[in-house]
Amino acid sequence: MRVSGRDGRAGQDVLRRVGEASVLILISLADGPKHGYALIQDIKELADVELGPGTLYGALDRLERLDLIESLPADDRRHPYRITAPGAAALRVHLDSLERVSAAGRLRLRLGGV
Amino acid sequence: MNGPGATRLVERALRCYPPRWRRRHGDEAAELAALLIRDGASAGSIALSYLVGAAREWLTPRLGPRLSTATGAVLIVACSLGVSAVLLASSAPARAALTPTPARGASASQAHGRVHCRAGSTDEGVPGVIRSMGQLPVMIWTAGHERSC
Repeated sequence: MRVSGRDGRAGQDVLRRVGEASVLILISLADGPKHGYALIQDIKELADVELGPGTLYGALDRLERLDLIESLPADDRRHPYRITAPGAAALRVHLDSLERVSAAGRLRLRLGGV
Repeated sequence: MNGPGATRLVERALRCYPPRWRRRHGDEAAELAALLIRDGASAGSIALSYLVGAAREWLTPRLGPRLSTATGAVLIVACSLGVSAVLLASSAPARAALTPTPARGASASQAHGRVHCRAGSTDEGVPGVIRSMGQLPVMIWTAGHERSC
């Protein structure tokens, strides 16, 4: 499944079903290309989540198939990955959606007096 | 576990991935594991993570979504037919058991022995032969009060 701004899926939250690891990878790549080890370190700092290497490669492959990230030419044996324009757009849509849900949750908590 | 033992463990786990995956990520994955082990991660947990990833990699369909759906539908239909056939086959002896009397000429051993069932390919002149559509005939010898099958 390719996701791009041109195929009519713009504005749809395509990251809703890709899993937390994929979203964290996209967030980590949002500020520049990284290879696997740097991604694991960054996500640990960013979200206090330790991604296993098997999970990392599974998520990277999935995101690449979705055209949300791309692999750059290998630097030594390491492939850096970069977020694509559709990937950045999808991440923005997903974060907006999370923000809306989060705001609604907070509001309900206040209204409920919990 | 550190050193060559850890490396061997991770290499074995990496060998579980499909060749296509190993060609693309194999070297990098081994190097990543070495870096994580150097940072204090356990080789066992890294190997386990790779094993789970390898299983997922083999199980993830490489077909397009539509083709995957079609293949899934065909598999479900095939499985349902298989289950139906098994159910039909298993209910056939029960129906046969309702057949009241053995035919004349049944041998003494058939008349007094235990009840036997066997699948056959031809209709023999044996009582209780049931042939339903698409299944092997099941010959049932009934005698006395004992029934098995």
